[in-house]
Amino acid sequence: MALDFSEPQRQSTAGILINGAYIVQRFVRAMFIPLALFIFKSNKIALLYMALGLVAVLIISIVYGYFYYRKFTFYLDTLKREFVIDKGVFGRKNLTIPIEKIQQVNINQGFLQKLIGVYSLQIDTAGSDSKEVNISAINGSTAYALKEHLLNGEKEAVANQNSNELIVQPSLKKETPFIKIGAGTLLKIGLTSNYGQSILLLSGFGYAVFHNIKELLRALDKDNGQVEQFFKNSVTIISIGILLAAIIVVLLATNVIRTFVKYFDFQISKHQKSLLISSGLFAKKNTLLHPSRVQITEYSQNYFQKKIGLFNMALKQAHSGQQQSEKEVKNNNMEVPGCNPSEKDEVLRMILSKLPLDGTCYQPNFRFMNLPILFSILLPLGGYLIFYQFLPEIRPFYSLAIIYVLVALLMIYISYTKHRITVSEDFIIKQSGIWDISQEIIEPHKIQSISTSQFPWHKSLDIGHLTLHTAAGNISFSYGNYTEIKLLVNWWLYQVEGGQKDWM
Amino acid sequence: MQNFSNETINLDALPKYEETPLTGPAPKYWNIIVINIVLLLLFIGISLSLITVFNEDVQRNWMIWTGLYIIGALFLFLLFRASFKRRGFALREKDVLYKSGIIAETTVIVPLNRIQHVALNEGFLSRMFHFGTLQIYTAGGASGEIRIAGVPIEQAKAMKEALVQRLVINKETQNE
Repeated sequence: MALDFSEPQRQSTAGILINGAYIVQRFVRAMFIPLALFIFKSNKIALLYMALGLVAVLIISIVYGYFYYRKFTFYLDTLKREFVIDKGVFGRKNLTIPIEKIQQVNINQGFLQKLIGVYSLQIDTAGSDSKEVNISAINGSTAYALKEHLLNGEKEAVANQNSNELIVQPSLKKETPFIKIGAGTLLKIGLTSNYGQSILLLSGFGYAVFHNIKELLRALDKDNGQVEQFFKNSVTIISIGILLAAIIVVLLATNVIRTFVKYFDFQISKHQKSLLISSGLFAKKNTLLHPSRVQITEYSQNYFQKKIGLFNMALKQAHSGQQQSEKEVKNNNMEVPGCNPSEKDEVLRMILSKLPLDGTCYQPNFRFMNLPILFSILLPLGGYLIFYQFLPEIRPFYSLAIIYVLVALLMIYISYTKHRITVSEDFIIKQSGIWDISQEIIEPHKIQSISTSQFPWHKSLDIGHLTLHTAAGNISFSYGNYTEIKLLVNWWLYQVEGGQKDWM
Repeated sequence: MQNFSNETINLDALPKYEETPLTGPAPKYWNIIVINIVLLLLFIGISLSLITVFNEDVQRNWMIWTGLYIIGALFLFLLFRASFKRRGFALREKDVLYKSGIIAETTVIVPLNRIQHVALNEGFLSRMFHFGTLQIYTAGGASGEIRIAGVPIEQAKAMKEALVQRLVINKETQNE
């Protein structure tokens, strides 16, 4: 294939299909509600006409897609150092991007593109709408070569800085992946993790179904509270048991499906000094991760996962810029859904350049439990007891109250025993959690600032709190020995201020 | 402790941040705080008296409301006084310290080579009294940043200059 980008060239011929599909997609999206209403209310002849109309839309889309393809050209002006795109069937649009303004080049593959075997290429420039600069159908090797051309125009330092965000084309990874997560492991992970998220998802879904059925019945003027009645009738002890079992099955199934969709064919391979991570069932996502950008390395394990020897890992990167949305922060975290102990160690070695060895361990004072006990046990219990006097209706629930107090006590106690910080020359490891026990590892030179605090009534007890602020979040250690904390802070300050290591 | 001290570093010999003498805010800055509180109290007081005029229920219990108002005002003054007395900052050779807190006493330490940028703010009142607020930003998010209020403007400018100069030097050494 001739990879001379200085001549204007078109997208891959498959682009006709992709462009057409985009138009159909847009049409269907815009017309969805009228169409649905039409289908619902019409007779057979009208349906036939509509089918014909849809076929016409399809043909027109393909024809338009063809012309769009004919008129869409892009080339690299090597003299002026600009990337130029000409496009538009009716109105023409000429886009010129100075090469040095290019921040990053993303190569993605959506579902349809995966079917046809092409990629889309997006160019991100500072302060412009990235959707504008989008080549929606380009063949794999061309995309990669073009990306190389676009980024080589920059200075190497800039390219380096961006490398972590670059989404790389799969043919790049000739190296054999050192972590490959098979279906079996994914199944195990789906069964053992993320219950909380799935419960949220399911309850949202359940509410939506309930609500929609009611809406439908109301729309048909037949809502006499059947839904509520149905639920009321079916509440017996046996049916509650069945319902619980069903909920657990559905929960596990959702968990497994979610895990498969997100992490199918998960691979990590080394690519020069970076980690190349790829996964996804429908849309494959490739991310190049630079170890020096990782601020916090976290691995976690719950009781079940401990039994089968699996870890979840999260590599937390620096948030760039001042303000970021929740989603962007999440995108900055690379997750490794499941790995065995040796793979975990391998990743740690890649990121931290060596395994964290044992250090001095610091544990909190038992007063750690005071506030949680006050707020989640004593106050609710007090409230319950007060209402107990005045509301006879809630008296039968006293067994629930006892169970709640016992469970909450146990959870607080576990969180107290698990809360600890381990300090060695090169690492700080914070352990925490109740069910999922997580270990967060940072290197001292990743610290941005440190804060310590103490309540006045803890002065004579010599208890204090510590927070290490990093670019990927905070790490706190509460109710520790304040003298030891101050000693540690002085030591870390010495390491940060005396060391030459940069945090990024 | 012995696990991470080696021959060259004696942990006890390291400079101790907790023993650094701190500079409190200028005593005159208290005036600004008082003016701010009084303005706030005036606003609340006016709203309360308006309510008293129009609401008969409140009118009958005006003693309770006035009492609450006075207790609240006293409480506010005491709170700010306590927080004012606890504040203090220090500019060390390689880091900035800032101590503050109403109940818990918090010390934030920002190493100079982790500062992203420095800002100097002057509010309307502060400008009249020649004070400034120095804000020091890091990449570690809002909770790990320092905001020193009530620094005499000349000193604040000098501090900002010093910090910025240090920033430039740091950046240069990193580039080499």
